[in-house]
Amino acid sequence: MPAVLSLAAFLALWAVVAVVVAEPITMPGPLRVGAVLVDELASGRLLTNTGITLLRVIAAFIVAMGIGVALGLVLGRSSRTDHWVNPWLVILVNMPALVVTVLCYIWIGLNEVAAIAAVVINKVPLVTVMVREGARALRPDLDDMARIFRMTPSARLRHVVLPQMAPYIAGAARAGLSLIWKIVLVVEFLGRSSGVGFQIHLNFSMFRVAHILAYAFAFILVMLLIEYLVLRPLERHASRWRQDGH
Amino acid sequence: MDIDIRGKSFAGRPVLGPIRLTLVQGQRVAILGPSGIGKTTFLRIVAGLDGDFDGTVSDTGRTTMVFQEPTLLPWRTALENITLPTGVSPDAAQALLAEVGLAGKDRLYPRQLSLGQQRRLALARAFAPDPTVLLMDEPFASLDAQTAGRMLDLTAALLDRAGASLIFVTHDPTEAAHLKAQPLTLRGSPATLG
Repeated sequence: MPAVLSLAAFLALWAVVAVVVAEPITMPGPLRVGAVLVDELASGRLLTNTGITLLRVIAAFIVAMGIGVALGLVLGRSSRTDHWVNPWLVILVNMPALVVTVLCYIWIGLNEVAAIAAVVINKVPLVTVMVREGARALRPDLDDMARIFRMTPSARLRHVVLPQMAPYIAGAARAGLSLIWKIVLVVEFLGRSSGVGFQIHLNFSMFRVAHILAYAFAFILVMLLIEYLVLRPLERHASRWRQDGH
Repeated sequence: MDIDIRGKSFAGRPVLGPIRLTLVQGQRVAILGPSGIGKTTFLRIVAGLDGDFDGTVSDTGRTTMVFQEPTLLPWRTALENITLPTGVSPDAAQALLAEVGLAGKDRLYPRQLSLGQQRRLALARAFAPDPTVLLMDEPFASLDAQTAGRMLDLTAALLDRAGASLIFVTHDPTEAAHLKAQPLTLRGSPATLG
């Protein structure tokens, strides 16, 4: 209930500011943005562009999580490798997303591969660092147990290592998703001719703030749906062993 | 099983001296000695968990171990805690669960079991792959006398049936006697079997 009231208060405040400023082009009220949202939805542009952006987010997310989890596991388990790779990670974590994106477009070309690569390079260091923390905290007694019973490497990974890593991977996934979709918009803004980022670029050059906000809200909604319909149920499933009772 | 340890050091400090021990099928020995003497170090070498020593352990057969703590997978059920590490069939695992008094508990997770039940599950897991040598590292140390007694009876029964050899690390000579294990004492620095 406080959440609903708080959102209602935000909309009210926004409406009041819009009326007081009285500049409908640069400071549209919630009703105007809502109308644009309905318009864009009816024209099909909203769904197409949101869908394209979502596909890029999913592709970059899968690749970045795959590389980051594998790298994080290796670095967390082998301090020697970590000593060598860590300086690179420190540099990459602090590299501005914009620089990576521009360099990818210059070196790879203005294409889809460059766009996804830019997002992945921006995202991998963060996933790696978070998963590495988890890999450092792996229980040595369970390692001993797995060795005594000669569990195969794949069985160890599935039944011993990954369940211990689940909270760290889930954390990296959540932090990753919100970061990725922000970077995807920048990447689209700079060098793609489709997607939410491109629409924002287009509307920015025409000063259509209502359109920019409409696309932003549409995408926030999509990300919230993913959070509640995909990520939360997955986490509940992965942590069911923590429940008491039968 | 042939154990021939010439020495084991931690950071240059010798912990174990020369230790020779040959175990024939079904033979049971207990390794006694005060805390910190190197009993667990010795057992980890025998188990193959510590390869950084001078000497050899050969003819190990199928070796399994019961640890000081139950060391179960908290995110897998009681049944899976037997089938996944050992590769035995669910039916064989069910039979073992019944044997250690955990019939009907197969779908519970470790945290839904009492500590005594968790230890019995760990015992069932150790016997699942039909071991030729069973290693035990003070598995009854944190149990009350009554529970420890029941666990000892259960272990003795399972050992009799499996015909496995036993290396049993403990600081309690009565536990060794209960399992009919020949008592050997680690003493000195670096420690040897006196």
